[in-house]
Amino acid sequence: MTRPATILLALVVVLGLAAPWLAPNPYDHQFRDMASASPQPGFPMGTDDLGRDRLSRLLYATRVSVLLAPSAATISVLLALLFSALAALPSRLVAWTLSLANGIFLSLPWIFLFIILRSKLSLNTDPLVSVTLTFALMGVAGWAIPGRAFTASIVEMKDAGWLLQARAAGLRPWRIATAHAWPHLWSLALVQFRILIPAYVLSEASLGLLGLGVADPMPSWGNLLRDLQHPDVVQANPWTLAPLALLVLVMICLESLTPSRKAAL
Amino acid sequence: MSSVLDFRISASYGTTEVLHQVAATIAPGEIVSLVGLSGSGKSTLALALLRLLRYRGGVVTGNIRLEGTELTTLSESGMRAIRGRRIGYVPQSPGLSLNSRLRVETLLDETWRAHASRSANHRGLLESVQLPADTAFLRKRAGELSTGQGQRLLIALALMHGPALLLADEPTSALDAIAQAGVLQLFGRINRERGTAILFISHDLLSVAGISHRVDILHEGRLVESGSPAAVFRTPQHPFTRQLVAAMPRLTLPD
Repeated sequence: MTRPATILLALVVVLGLAAPWLAPNPYDHQFRDMASASPQPGFPMGTDDLGRDRLSRLLYATRVSVLLAPSAATISVLLALLFSALAALPSRLVAWTLSLANGIFLSLPWIFLFIILRSKLSLNTDPLVSVTLTFALMGVAGWAIPGRAFTASIVEMKDAGWLLQARAAGLRPWRIATAHAWPHLWSLALVQFRILIPAYVLSEASLGLLGLGVADPMPSWGNLLRDLQHPDVVQANPWTLAPLALLVLVMICLESLTPSRKAAL
Repeated sequence: MSSVLDFRISASYGTTEVLHQVAATIAPGEIVSLVGLSGSGKSTLALALLRLLRYRGGVVTGNIRLEGTELTTLSESGMRAIRGRRIGYVPQSPGLSLNSRLRVETLLDETWRAHASRSANHRGLLESVQLPADTAFLRKRAGELSTGQGQRLLIALALMHGPALLLADEPTSALDAIAQAGVLQLFGRINRERGTAILFISHDLLSVAGISHRVDILHEGRLVESGSPAAVFRTPQHPFTRQLVAAMPRLTLPD
């Protein structure tokens, strides 16, 4: 299962990254006289209600997801590593404060922050700014779960026999952290990174569906899914289901490649 | 300099005292075995001597003199310079005490660089503890080693900087009988060839008696008897030592 999933994902990533060259039209160009057109030469998947080429928008939306979900996952993992490393310092106050912050981040209903973010962005906000802010916020909000895993791992390491052996050998704390502890954290960080990518792809899709994600005219899988709210459009042009099909396909591939939760812990 | 190590310490975890005024002197080239039951404070003593007990939540009071230097007043960086260089520590479980993610060569290099700046060839060291020194072995991760190989690697790491004293905390407890005999012989050879003093901590009086110059008996955090192996075996004085000697396995075969 992993080989076909890897090949399919690689294909999707290549399609997304090559969007500027593969897309027949700019993603935001409105063909005013071609609104809601059926598939036809020049518009293989038809156009949306504003006359924008669906295929071009899908390719660019794929580019957004394949670039930014891993970026957001990187932000989360780096923040989690930073805070967990700070929590491992001898200061109990720092550890307590970070534990409290972790609890707060896990408890907060983050959707309200996205609502606030969208309300603060003016209608003519640069699409790149909107998409960057959306994924950056996801990345920052998402540090708490990997942070808990890293902290648990670091706490476990503090009692490890190999740590005692390294100290007894006279190794400096910095060498113990970088040469001995880091290999353990690195593999955990990779697992957490791979778990977060599908989570962020799906989060963006959910936020986009609610109009809280990437702002128009920048396409994302989330805001393309909004077309599915109109059954008559779906019935008239089944190609509107293409973003959903692609999302489901990518999620299945990612999930089949994602390490189990057991491995993550 | 009359002794390598001279100490008198007490240690406690919270309000529970686990070592009470335990005192001993180890001369250069001497092998002293500290024997006691599980929970008698043996491992606590090893960590206390290295001043690592605080990482297990313990507190040590008293004096520890290593080659004339008082260790209890040294700063942490001062202790780091002692650990691994003047005192080698051999822990009991290779499975837990070797970082399973690291390759043998990384463990050797990291341990070497703790006290030296130039790179070194570890072939001679590995051969001295009867480990292969080929690339295939060096590239192995510690988690891939057998228990016997792991224990020998721990001994090699402890010996790397030519310490004056080896602290061996139950180094044979995880080994089978043949590997145990091999490791005990190795300690004996290290002592003879390098003149390294050894504090051998064990629960097994029988196994350590053959290589020790002196045996100290630890019972409930106190040293209750000290003497040559022959004296301890033949004329044990303390009731606990008598119990320990009486409990030693004897081979009785059916007719």
